Amino acid sequence: MASYADLRKAADAAWAPIADPKRALIKVGVATCSRVLGAEEALVAIREGVRSRKIEADVMMTGCNGLCYAEPLVEVRLPGQPGVLHQQVTPDRAGALLDAVAAGSAAGPGALAVLGTGSMGDVPPISSLPFWRGQLRRLMANCGVTDPENMDHYIANGGYEGLDKALKMDGEAITKELLASGLWGRGGAAFPTGRKWDFLRTSQRHPKYVICNADEGDPGAFVNRNIMESDPHLLLEGVIIAGVATAADRAFIYIRDEYPLPVARMEKAIEDAYAAGLAGKNILGSGTGFEVEVVRGAGSYVCGDETGLLSSLEDRRGMPKIKPPYPAEAGAFAKPSNINNVESYANAPLVLRNGAEWWGSVGTEKNKGTKMFSLSGQIRRVGVLEVPLGTSTREVVMEMGGGPPEGRTLKAIQPGGPLSGIVPASEVDIPLEPEYYRERGSLMGGGGLVILDDTNCVIDLCIYFEWFAEDESCGRCTTCFAGTRRMVEILRRIASGRGREADIELIKLLAQLSTNANCFHGQGAPTSVMTMLRWFQDELMEHVLRKRCPTRACAGLVRYEVLHQSDRLPLAEAICPTAAVVKDERGMYRIDQERCVKCGACREQAPYAIAVVDEFGAQPN
Amino acid sequence: MFANASHNSRLSIVAPAPGRVELLARVTELIADLKPDDVDMLKALHRINHEFHYIPPASIPLLAAQFNTTPALVYGTIDFYSELRLRPPAENVVEWCSGPACLLKNSTGIRRALEAELGCQMDQVSIDGKYELRLVQCDGTCHLAPLIRYKGKYIGPLTTSQAIEFARGLKPAPAATEASE
Repeated sequence: MASYADLRKAADAAWAPIADPKRALIKVGVATCSRVLGAEEALVAIREGVRSRKIEADVMMTGCNGLCYAEPLVEVRLPGQPGVLHQQVTPDRAGALLDAVAAGSAAGPGALAVLGTGSMGDVPPISSLPFWRGQLRRLMANCGVTDPENMDHYIANGGYEGLDKALKMDGEAITKELLASGLWGRGGAAFPTGRKWDFLRTSQRHPKYVICNADEGDPGAFVNRNIMESDPHLLLEGVIIAGVATAADRAFIYIRDEYPLPVARMEKAIEDAYAAGLAGKNILGSGTGFEVEVVRGAGSYVCGDETGLLSSLEDRRGMPKIKPPYPAEAGAFAKPSNINNVESYANAPLVLRNGAEWWGSVGTEKNKGTKMFSLSGQIRRVGVLEVPLGTSTREVVMEMGGGPPEGRTLKAIQPGGPLSGIVPASEVDIPLEPEYYRERGSLMGGGGLVILDDTNCVIDLCIYFEWFAEDESCGRCTTCFAGTRRMVEILRRIASGRGREADIELIKLLAQLSTNANCFHGQGAPTSVMTMLRWFQDELMEHVLRKRCPTRACAGLVRYEVLHQSDRLPLAEAICPTAAVVKDERGMYRIDQERCVKCGACREQAPYAIAVVDEFGAQPN
Repeated sequence: MFANASHNSRLSIVAPAPGRVELLARVTELIADLKPDDVDMLKALHRINHEFHYIPPASIPLLAAQFNTTPALVYGTIDFYSELRLRPPAENVVEWCSGPACLLKNSTGIRRALEAELGCQMDQVSIDGKYELRLVQCDGTCHLAPLIRYKGKYIGPLTTSQAIEFARGLKPAPAATEASE
């Protein structure tokens, strides 16, 4: 049985040519976000080009460093120089990149930043990128640096050192260390992780299970995906440490079905860990055994609720159970279980490797450590970033993310999933800490920030969230499955101009009733509507009383009209899917309101001739 | 003669549909090593789904036997998950992302246009059985919002007009008589 020192030695040897390359090194980031833009094809094209053109270079795959807006990213590193990051290297641009490498230059066209402190020619250092500045990358330290499918790369960067330490400590010492660090659950509930592990550790019944909730179902959140596909061993090490600390027998990593690449990479990581003796029977010769397996979900949001996940593991419908008993007493198969989020487990190796004091040295008094956030929606730079807790929301959204597109203003932020409510732009200065979000009727949740700008209607978004809650309801509690349906009906009525003042009271009543639901899915379902009532009542009353949608997003309150004749109208006629743009006998175009489905394609073709009109007139172009 | 005919028709009811025996044999083979209470149901369903691109309803009794449960509970489990389906997919499945990032960038317009253009509502199949619109959940490729997926390819960011052009591209070219009109 190899010891950790042996593994580390072998890993260092494998990592040396990448840490200090003797010839050009090209790293191609392949993750879900870049794969959809052809990163795999780019990798093949670059490999092929290097071989056929006999360029002195090594090509390797790496994960995603979070700059989704610039994908596919390729890093070029020449001996003795810092790496240069190239953006949008689609397969057809691989040739141009290789031209530069063949000419002995790392900074060809499309260079985004230098992965070092100084600039190179006119390429700025990465720390000057707004998206990068202010980040503190601990969980993401290996993202975009190492090959996620190569365990040696992870070990050479300090991987499994935490596990090695954990094996030499007793369980109580590990949970105490975690408790001292101040790490709380990153899934949204913010419960201290050390204490949670202690519940399982003190349970004497076997088998015990460690379960990782990687069912990141919140639409618009993709932070866990980034860990699993760019640094799968970090999560795996955390899960194994949890198993060692709590003397558990088996781990299940439950990954949602929409994430095929994370499933593949986690499975590869587990396979490698077993082969190296880092998992399975007798971990690193310590006598401790722990099995790990990946379970692939099949598309259900409510399986992201911890007890829903348990039901899903038990071969049944993923219906959340009634608590108590809590999972620590009777979890999967009525055996003691511990369930944590991906990010919670991924922090454990860092705590053990560097100590609780180091880990807790960033963040605020109450909320220590870093947190990953994903930015999406109406924002210039979509991506994943990691900042210390307590960083202001404004800094993350407006500076790092770049705020809404040119000419638009921020309207609201929807943090942490469909059950977490909406926070208006006026509150954007609050720090990213759960307490501040809770005070505003919202929840920080798992870290998916969705940005709304002034073209978006809050009612429209609330209909989506309530529809989502209804669609994904397991069907146990009437207040949830029928309550959300009723909520959707009321909101749709308001959005179609048939809203009544009494509807406001109805909504409040429904929200009140929803607190009686069993699990958080039902309880949290009305959050978005309640925050909408709190912060956007004017906009709601505009819909209800004046039958007008200020952003003209609600289809029931607007119609498309031809304002004046234009030579672009034949294009509109051609694109209309329902032939609603019609020409009368005099050759004049008009829109047949009976046929129009309000998709807006005609207005894309003839933006000045066709307008969105409501009872108050046409929208100025 | 009458008796003979009824005898024949009875035979034809008993005889299994073509391919059914092979299908059941294949399903049995796929799930043979899986055990009840061992977190294997999802694995079984994924294997069958991977093989046939849907869960043939005929495999439900086999699953129930393998997992010591009832066909009703197996059906309930399959029905619960949105990525598992009990009918084969149409030839052309256009997947429409329902996520908030897409929604905020006018995916609703794209949905309305696709429904009109393909001739089917969301999660339904067109009347000729060739086109299907499917609602999918956000998988975090929000830098492409609003997007649709087709045969594993992600297409975005899309304008409504581009979505319509895409849907028209899926349809066969109009017959020569129409073109010459």
